[in-house]
Amino acid sequence: MNRDARRPVLSVERFSLKFSRDARAPNLVDDVSFEVREGETLCIVGESGCGKSVTALSLPGLLPSPPALRVSGAARFDGRDLFTLTERDLADLRGNRLSMIFQEPMTSLNPAYTVGEQIAETIRRHRGATRSAARAEALDMMKRVRIPAAEARVDRYPHELSGGMRQRVMIAMALANRPRLLIADEPTTALDVTIQAQVLALIRNLQAETGTAMVLITHDLGVVAEVADHVAVMYAGRIVEYGTVRALFDDPQHPYTIGLMGAIPSTGRREGALVTIAGAVPSPEQMPNGCRFAPRCPFAVDRCIDEAPPQRPVGGEPGHDEESGASDTHRVACWLAPLEIHARGAPPSVQQAAA
Amino acid sequence: MSDVLQAAPLDADSAAPQPVVVEARSLTKRFGGERHLFARTPVVHAVDGVSFQVRRRETFAIVGESGCGKSTLGRLLLRLIEPTDGRVLFRGNDITDLSGTPLRRLRREMQIIFQDPFASLNPGMTVEQIIGEPIALHGLAHGAEKRERVAQLLRTVGLQPTYADRYPHEFSGGQRQRIGIARALAGEPTLIVGDEPVSALDVSVQAQVINLLEQLKAQLGLTLVMISHDLAVIRHMSDRVVVMYLGEIVEHAHVDELFDTPLHPYTQALLRSVPASRPDARRERAALSGDLPNPTAPPSGCRFHPRCPHAKPLCSEARPPAETLPGGRRVACHFWRDIQHAGSSPPLAAGPGAKLAERLALYRERQTGAAR
Repeated sequence: MNRDARRPVLSVERFSLKFSRDARAPNLVDDVSFEVREGETLCIVGESGCGKSVTALSLPGLLPSPPALRVSGAARFDGRDLFTLTERDLADLRGNRLSMIFQEPMTSLNPAYTVGEQIAETIRRHRGATRSAARAEALDMMKRVRIPAAEARVDRYPHELSGGMRQRVMIAMALANRPRLLIADEPTTALDVTIQAQVLALIRNLQAETGTAMVLITHDLGVVAEVADHVAVMYAGRIVEYGTVRALFDDPQHPYTIGLMGAIPSTGRREGALVTIAGAVPSPEQMPNGCRFAPRCPFAVDRCIDEAPPQRPVGGEPGHDEESGASDTHRVACWLAPLEIHARGAPPSVQQAAA
Repeated sequence: MSDVLQAAPLDADSAAPQPVVVEARSLTKRFGGERHLFARTPVVHAVDGVSFQVRRRETFAIVGESGCGKSTLGRLLLRLIEPTDGRVLFRGNDITDLSGTPLRRLRREMQIIFQDPFASLNPGMTVEQIIGEPIALHGLAHGAEKRERVAQLLRTVGLQPTYADRYPHEFSGGQRQRIGIARALAGEPTLIVGDEPVSALDVSVQAQVINLLEQLKAQLGLTLVMISHDLAVIRHMSDRVVVMYLGEIVEHAHVDELFDTPLHPYTQALLRSVPASRPDARRERAALSGDLPNPTAPPSGCRFHPRCPHAKPLCSEARPPAETLPGGRRVACHFWRDIQHAGSSPPLAAGPGAKLAERLALYRERQTGAAR
């Protein structure tokens, strides 16, 4: 299928959110826009506190409000704005057209029901299937997520399964009603590396079969390199860089993205000490006014501290996708990108020290 | 492939090998088997007949997935738990049966850093009390001198000495791990065991702590035992590696040998499971099938055989002995020679692209410029 012809399944526009009614309080998700198309995976990557999980939980209406307060924005899905739906409408969507997978399957599964009953329940809730038909379909789903000896495991309780098997059950449940959109929040973070590889391969294959669009939240750039089509890098509530996965890895523009890539040890031959990003993520009380990364950025100049940089297109190929806007356009929110042109010469701090 | 068999020097800096700091001899630990009301609890073979030597100033890594026994092994080395069988030697002395004052004195020399910086520091103690405790316990300093030592240790791990009066909850995860490291250093140990010391940290903070550990190791001449499930961290930090599976060492090699030419099929599978470093390195991989077997009933013969793509009848019948290759590398597989050429070697991790490399260089340049 021609990728460009695919319409966006989800389109989030200028979404901002805070956890306070105080007008002066900073937005903890600030002006975030992205879209995901059929059969595609958007990875939202960032460290703890960057707002990635808050964004993901807001979409299916899983963030209690208050304390969460949407300041602005829309999330178009199936011709409707998710943010304006009633709780009842959302309940009809969740597990049906829109599904979720979370990091810890043990806390998302009900310990009092067998896994087969739980998968069948989603099928019955949304499609009104009979008990026996739903059970047969649950078993079929368990086979499709390659749970070995599914006939025996369908009547097991969650605690009787290993972590990898439980995560497969979660995936079976999430995909049982063939959702158009899957939101996966760190789905493999709690798993061992060999099991992670199995689960990632499984998600990728099922997605290719069903055409489900996926928003995958992760802190792991390895997972991004493995499954993403597009990537949004978040820092302190903002998307600082967005692009195709190739653009992000071949031509990273934002100093935070670059620092992050240099901070990860490689399984290749060692190349000196790791790059570090000085300091820590700002707390909501001390959110910087300008670029939120400026206090940690080795390139920051006065303008960065005073004025938040807008997202602007960068890189060689501008958006060639005329039909659905410019979702392939590589965008960065940095005054100094590309660094080799705008940040050459002696560091400002050295100049100051010499003066 | 002859280069596989070539000896890799244990210590690149000197011709003579460094003395052994800590040694495990056929260490075994079983949990359970206690008699309860009606039945015995199942026996878990956490560590089974493990032997190795850790030499001075090296970083020795123990890698494996959850339940492989790596943390138990670390605690056995430090005598924090008692082995069921086998011996632990520290600087050539058998410490397996040590107790009382001699054991306490020994504790000064061997320290541990835990994974969870939120759980391993007493929330009711100030930083000064936390770091000062081992100093007082081992009678190293008192009063003003002790406070000065605490301040010095805080500076060593990159924290301000003024933090001494604060409590653990006032710090971020990375800062707490630094406090944990300062505490481990307080007794001036020769050996530090890190049990997943960076696993709970965010990437940028993880890099800070890894660099700190490496810098301290060089500065203070420490010997490190790193327990981790993270293969990239292991590759980056260590000199030698043992790979564990269900309580046994399946492979023991110099770090570059292990990553460049893994010999054991489990090591090969582990390395194949590591996600791609770049999107153009994506590949279809034969993922390892199945889960870890139940450790109360480990498989017969080679414990890896139910999941091994190369398993033959012999593998379920006989436990493979650890074969020592020239150069000291060890592998416990009946068929490693045949598998070596089975085309199952892991792809090399791709390095950064040209633009990333250029910008990373700029980043480093700026950072050192700003730090000076």
